[in-house]
Amino acid sequence: MLKVLDSAVPVACWSCSVAHNDSTLFCPHCSKIQPPPGGDYFSVFGLEPRLNLDLAELEHEFHRLSRKVHPDRFARAGDNERQWSLADTALLNDAYRTLKDPLHRTEYLLKLRGAEIGEEHSGKDRKDPSRVPADLLEEVFELNMQLEEMRMARKLGETDPDIQSSLEQAKRKFDILLEEVDQDLRKQWQAWDAGDAAARAKVEKTMVSLLDRRRYLSNLVRDVNEVLGA
Amino acid sequence: MAYSDKVIDHYNNPRNVGQLDKSSTEVGTGLVGAPECGDVMRLQIRVNPETQVIEEAKFKTFGCGSAIASSSLATEWIKGRSVDDALAIKNTDIVKELSLPPVKIHCSVLAEDAIRAAIGDWKKKNGVAETADAAAVAH
Repeated sequence: MLKVLDSAVPVACWSCSVAHNDSTLFCPHCSKIQPPPGGDYFSVFGLEPRLNLDLAELEHEFHRLSRKVHPDRFARAGDNERQWSLADTALLNDAYRTLKDPLHRTEYLLKLRGAEIGEEHSGKDRKDPSRVPADLLEEVFELNMQLEEMRMARKLGETDPDIQSSLEQAKRKFDILLEEVDQDLRKQWQAWDAGDAAARAKVEKTMVSLLDRRRYLSNLVRDVNEVLGA
Repeated sequence: MAYSDKVIDHYNNPRNVGQLDKSSTEVGTGLVGAPECGDVMRLQIRVNPETQVIEEAKFKTFGCGSAIASSSLATEWIKGRSVDDALAIKNTDIVKELSLPPVKIHCSVLAEDAIRAAIGDWKKKNGVAETADAAAVAH
């Protein structure tokens, strides 16, 4: 489940009763393990939500925390602490897997910010049904048509070198388009990380539509690779 | 996830695949997409100018089996209906007919959007006043 940002509320440590921030795995006062924190994945690593992350540092922190919450270390602890170490470990794994991947990280942050992404938000519940710009749809449809033509031609005349080369050309084109989207996304990361609330809201909209475009393009790349690999 | 028999039937034998002349005034074209899964769907209608009955409907969909079945079924249903009758088709009707599971409901929404977009395009071409609903979809 996604939690809203800034949900880190002070809670009392179950062991020493000293209040601490709800995003921490261990009580800063008595160092006892805590129930799975209620904050977001970023706060698990002591980070503010941001899109440019030092991945080496993230990995280092992941390993450090993983060792600390490892269930082996709580084999002889009480029932609660044993269960929390399992739950904290699972949370830590989910958080790391999500944050280390640039696209998952971007989608996660956008979801935290209330963007409607993913199949559960498709169709009627979508606030903005015309989110896909008409010219992108035309382009994607056209590219799909071309790809299908090549696929059919290939089925009929297996060894036609023209089809092979136009398929490879199509693949290069899709790859370039995809790389352009990724470059643009990285630019948006900078803008989001550095921006104030108003700038961020704008950047978030841009990123949502870039991710939409990316999904169309990666489908095309997948399809053309399928044909080429066949 | 298992597809229903009706989805498989439409997927294997899609009805009315093809294209109509986009530039004809009798033809309305709707091109819609679902960014969540990257599906694109084009649905076209040819409307008799005298009777306002949809005499021909064609579609071309790039997407999953449910998206293809939804658009195939949609063309079957709107053929022979008047434009206004066609607008009465709801995505829930498609869901019911094809027994679509919840994760595939958006495919039926896409088909309904496509019908509305095609009719909206035809209305625009022919100067027919749009209902607010159709205008919203055809933006």
